[in-house]
Amino acid sequence: MDLIHPHSKRDVMDALRGASAADTRVLIVGGRQHIDKGNPSEADAELWTTLLDDRIAYDPAEMLCVVEAGMRVHDLRTMLAEGGQEWPVDGPDDATVGGVIAAGVTTVRQLRVGTMRDTIVEMEVVTGDGRLVKSGARTVKNVTGYDVHRLLTGSLGTLGTIVQIALKVRPLPKTARTLVINEGGLELGRRVLDAVPLPSAVLAEPDRLVVRLEGWPEEVEEQAAAARSIAAFGETEAPFPEACFPDATTVAEAAVVPSRLAQLLAGIDRYRAIMGVGVAWVPFEDEGALTKLRARAAELGGIAPAIRGPGGLGDAPIPAPEVERRIRAAMDPAGILAPGRTWST
Amino acid sequence: MAALDDARTELVAALGADAVLHDPLALRLYARDASMVEGSAGLVVFVRSAEDVVVCMRVAARHDLPVVPRGSGTGLVGGATPIADAIVVVTAKMDRILEVRPEDRLAWVEPGVFNLDLADALRPTGFTYAPDPSSQQVSSIGGNVNTNAGGPHCLAYGVTSAHVLAVDVVLPDGSVGRFGAEAPAAPGYDLRGFVVGSEGTLGIVTAACVRLTPLPPAVRTMLLDFAEVEDCAQTVSAIIARGVVPAALEMMDRGIVRAVEDFAHAGYPTDAAAVLLVEVDGLPAAVDAQTREVEAAAREHLVGTIRVAADDTERALLWKGRKSAFGAIARIAPHYHLHDCVVPRKALADILAGVYAIAQRHDLIVTNVFHAGDGNLHPLFSFDRSVPGTLERVLAASDELVRLCVDAGGSLSGEHGIGLEKRDFMPLVFTADDLDAQACLRAAFDPDGRMNPRKVLPDGARCGDYAAAALGRDGALPEGTWI
Repeated sequence: MDLIHPHSKRDVMDALRGASAADTRVLIVGGRQHIDKGNPSEADAELWTTLLDDRIAYDPAEMLCVVEAGMRVHDLRTMLAEGGQEWPVDGPDDATVGGVIAAGVTTVRQLRVGTMRDTIVEMEVVTGDGRLVKSGARTVKNVTGYDVHRLLTGSLGTLGTIVQIALKVRPLPKTARTLVINEGGLELGRRVLDAVPLPSAVLAEPDRLVVRLEGWPEEVEEQAAAARSIAAFGETEAPFPEACFPDATTVAEAAVVPSRLAQLLAGIDRYRAIMGVGVAWVPFEDEGALTKLRARAAELGGIAPAIRGPGGLGDAPIPAPEVERRIRAAMDPAGILAPGRTWST
Repeated sequence: MAALDDARTELVAALGADAVLHDPLALRLYARDASMVEGSAGLVVFVRSAEDVVVCMRVAARHDLPVVPRGSGTGLVGGATPIADAIVVVTAKMDRILEVRPEDRLAWVEPGVFNLDLADALRPTGFTYAPDPSSQQVSSIGGNVNTNAGGPHCLAYGVTSAHVLAVDVVLPDGSVGRFGAEAPAAPGYDLRGFVVGSEGTLGIVTAACVRLTPLPPAVRTMLLDFAEVEDCAQTVSAIIARGVVPAALEMMDRGIVRAVEDFAHAGYPTDAAAVLLVEVDGLPAAVDAQTREVEAAAREHLVGTIRVAADDTERALLWKGRKSAFGAIARIAPHYHLHDCVVPRKALADILAGVYAIAQRHDLIVTNVFHAGDGNLHPLFSFDRSVPGTLERVLAASDELVRLCVDAGGSLSGEHGIGLEKRDFMPLVFTADDLDAQACLRAAFDPDGRMNPRKVLPDGARCGDYAAAALGRDGALPEGTWI
């Protein structure tokens, strides 16, 4: 396995141009936190983005920051905290910003802060054949040209190397509290979701419920009281969100509409579900359990890719295979970027 | 035009004579949208279902004819202006709200549903559809999706893209696909995200699955007036710097306030240099806290009076003032040209000074009403096109204005789109490689270059045969194309 460890965008361009010419298959690697996501794919070389970690611009008054894609989530968090702000995306500390984006990471607090994909306002990407392509703009709002960055988000490194991103950030909440109770289940989760106005997250496990509240102190006080009118919540200082089944070697991330979570998870004894969103993480011991979960998700109009361990993405059909094939060809004409890793092939 | 005649015969046979118009009046009416560009329509087809759209696409493909989708025709940049005798496919009659599912926080709607009608229909469920373009009484969801429409409340809630979970699309070859999903994740690339904002150049949206947003428990609307435009602009940044993201943060200058006040009688102060309309929402406690911060920020910047809407009636009145701005300007002059540049927030004061200077230099009346919180300007030149030389002055001023905004780190359009009007400015913000990549990705959906050709990308953006195919649609663009 060859290693490409570029210091600059120019290095990335040269390396990928060369790889395309030589038909070298390349796996793009950030912090290696989401490396398991995707279908099996063979590579001749890894391209590490971790040296591309410069801060390009950050002005809190604009609620935007521009960073290179190899910057670690932890470093970005520290940088933004100095401006009293955050990138409202719940990625692991060691992940790179580009990795979080390419992996399409689910935002746990999306009821309140929105989804990760909507935070990306500008992107620079190096295509499989070494062209530098920019889309978007460094403004909070923009409809100038095609949003190439939309395609890159969640593309698992199959359309190009994300090298730089402008992100929409937001003020850190004035206060944040995490309520917890050792009672669980989706039914209780739903009741809490109905009772608490504008929570950041309500996470349900079979025997545990976690409610994340963020905002102005008086507001959070009111929300906590509403939650406690449903159940006798305690409180925790643990970081939020907690790691998801850290002991499990394999975890699937199922996605269905919120009202079908109960059908999806019936009979499953370990899960963590985001109420009102419809995402549930399920650890599984063997391929059989994953296959069953996937079949059930498919019946319910959803999917269940593995995000840790083997298992791949599953075989859900994509809506326009020819369009996706041509998108691939436009961005990676030689087909060297993680062939087979994403849904489309 | 044998191909067009054959297409008409086939469309009439499939959809009925009343669905296909080709009389001179209809062709003239549908030759333009709300911009000033006039094109030429070959046929006008009113579709009632996705199946009808498939028929249109197949007929157009068979005869190699261009297709231009059209919603309500309220677009301001010529996005729905047909060129080269295109088939105009009007989705206005597909106007049903198909399904509302509060438990899943989503609704399915056809493209012809008016934005405001959707919001009104949702209100009893405790939810709303958050994007609220100023055209919301008459603009349709299909058009909103295709322009990635914004609106005053997008500051806190995000633009259309954040509120569209899935779209059903008919591609130019007549095949259909659902991009995105009701579920929070979908297999494949985010084609949904690429289609939203694509200005009808990739396919025709026949249904949209939209996200429902809970109505805020409390809302407070304030009108702040300032003796200096600069203080008003700086208050915008000062509010954000205090960690407050209001639901809406709208600025209006004296010219527009006077026009609006004569028209809407909302009690706006006509002696102020500029006013800010600020709305905060959330839980009652959060609303109180945000109000305090907004007031403090405004006082630092020499606010005159702070008027807080006492009740829903007063709140509606304050918003009426803002939302009737584009109706009110008809009192100034018969024609207007509205810009939509977006700039970094901190550049607002300088850019506004620049806008006034440009208007003065070209002897034009300019008024400003815009989404200050987003840095999304809407300088509006009012003029009378029939006065010789006026149009040329407007063009020259517009050109300077766009360059001023780009030089300040801004972008061409915040919410109206590129269409025909801004197309040739694209090289100001994108390199040839950027534009080539965009052209190739567009061609992934439309290999023959028949969907709304010549829009968005300048003619120089090439992607192999695609550019040739698209260019072959017509030679000259209509007169005054980009105004």
